[in-house]
Amino acid sequence: MRKLWWRHAALIVISVIMLAPFYWLLKTAITSENIYEYPPHLLPVRPQLFNFVDVWYLIPFPRYLFNSIVVSLIAVAGNLVLNAMAGFALTLPFVGRRSVIVLLLSCTLIPFQATIIPAYLITAHLGLLNSYLGLALPLLSTIVCIFIFKASFDAVPRSLIDAARIDGLGEMRILLRVMLPLSTPAIATNIVLSFIWSWNNFLWPLIITRSQDMQTLPLGLARFLSYMEDTTDALYAFVVMVLAPGLLVFLMAQSAFMRGLTTGATKG
Amino acid sequence: MRSRRRAMVVACFLAPSLLIFIVYRILPLVWNVVLSFEYWSPLHPATWAGLDNYQEMLQDDDVFWQALWNTLIFLGSQPIAIALALGIALLVNSDLKGATVYRTIVFLSYPLMTVAVAIIWHWMYNERGGLINYALRQLGIIHQPIAFLDSFAWALPSTIVANTWQVLGFFMIVLLSGLQNIPLHLYEAARVDGAPAWARFFRITLPMLRPSVFLCLVIGMLNSFSAFDLIYVMTNGGPGHATELLITYIYKQGFVSTRFDYAAALTVAQFAMLLLLTWIAHRAVGGNAGAIE
Repeated sequence: MRKLWWRHAALIVISVIMLAPFYWLLKTAITSENIYEYPPHLLPVRPQLFNFVDVWYLIPFPRYLFNSIVVSLIAVAGNLVLNAMAGFALTLPFVGRRSVIVLLLSCTLIPFQATIIPAYLITAHLGLLNSYLGLALPLLSTIVCIFIFKASFDAVPRSLIDAARIDGLGEMRILLRVMLPLSTPAIATNIVLSFIWSWNNFLWPLIITRSQDMQTLPLGLARFLSYMEDTTDALYAFVVMVLAPGLLVFLMAQSAFMRGLTTGATKG
Repeated sequence: MRSRRRAMVVACFLAPSLLIFIVYRILPLVWNVVLSFEYWSPLHPATWAGLDNYQEMLQDDDVFWQALWNTLIFLGSQPIAIALALGIALLVNSDLKGATVYRTIVFLSYPLMTVAVAIIWHWMYNERGGLINYALRQLGIIHQPIAFLDSFAWALPSTIVANTWQVLGFFMIVLLSGLQNIPLHLYEAARVDGAPAWARFFRITLPMLRPSVFLCLVIGMLNSFSAFDLIYVMTNGGPGHATELLITYIYKQGFVSTRFDYAAALTVAQFAMLLLLTWIAHRAVGGNAGAIE
């Protein structure tokens, strides 16, 4: 009994530390105090939502939002289609299957950040700088997600697939009619992971966007910070608005998200 | 006939993904190496440079050594974060009431946009409005506010704290799934034999966790690349070059000074370091910890 009490105490302290930055952000976003006054107030003074309105006037928020949504939609669609196809191909026996798997696994060791210079030059050659497709292209397929689909397809009973083959279904139909309907958790994980990765992506858009029209939310945030410094509390309202969709997606699909990260990580 | 059609299907299904990985992973890797041996900029034709870029990097570039050292310190913080995460994972790995709530709270910061994390912590460290200076002053630990992110001594540790806050939950989840894969009968047998708690931890838990720890180490090393967002927004490498990491320096050389050739050489150096460290971690955790295989 005493031991349990001790554990809860430790976990509550950890939780408070982990949540403190969230609280401070939210407090700053809704307070009416002068945020540079010392000492700061621990509770928001005369809470209000004007900062959230200010964001719409201070920066082209709808434009950033629209760009982020378009890029994320392309990335999610690409991930679903390409990863499902690749994952399915890897469950079929073919010559060179092992080497393809080894190739994919070794690619996971090449961090995207280590490719930025040639990736920029390649994208420039393709004429895709400053375009939605260029923004989404490197994210269109993800190795972890391919293996999540593969693991899910491997779990489909062989007899079912054989029956479908005997009935004369082609491979495409087997994928669409048999495999995918039985893999909804893998589909959910793919959507959540690819959405969050593309929504949060910063370095790539930073490199390849030229005009403000094409900037996504993370770029808008960084830009806001650099030209306003942190002299306005509207910045923090903006941060809240940017974080909300990602957090909502995460909280709604928490189990899919965590399962995806760990299966992709430990099972491969 | 049938297997030939199957081969066609496999090729068509794999081609798009493979094309993306070849164009955006493997080709850049090769291109980086080639570029690092050349003098090249967008308006000049390439000429062979031999080892000049590397010579400049190793002999004449103080910022490179500072960035390398900072990156190593950053990497050195990852095992500490993993140890912390292991502690939390052990605390929530039981039928404790509310364990899932604690787990969600610790994990909540991981899926956040790193740029936003950087802005939040930039504000947390603020001299006047920041929670950290306020708390430290209230507790009597310091008497004057510290400008953490403008201080040569504090800037790097401060960004490391922000990074740890974000990745802790991820390490915890990986270790937790490792803990849950340890067969319970091992612990029962040890308890029957009268092994004390610490012996059970060092003889059963830690050895069985090796693959998960190795995975955390690899991800931790990749973090030294993905920390770009955090550093770029929090300090942009400053003050001076006190928080310059190799990846932020690569970005600056490539896209601010348009020295693509030199930036490529820096990238090759960092990638080589990454591979070397992964190999060392692989050996240190004990030979066959092929977690990603």
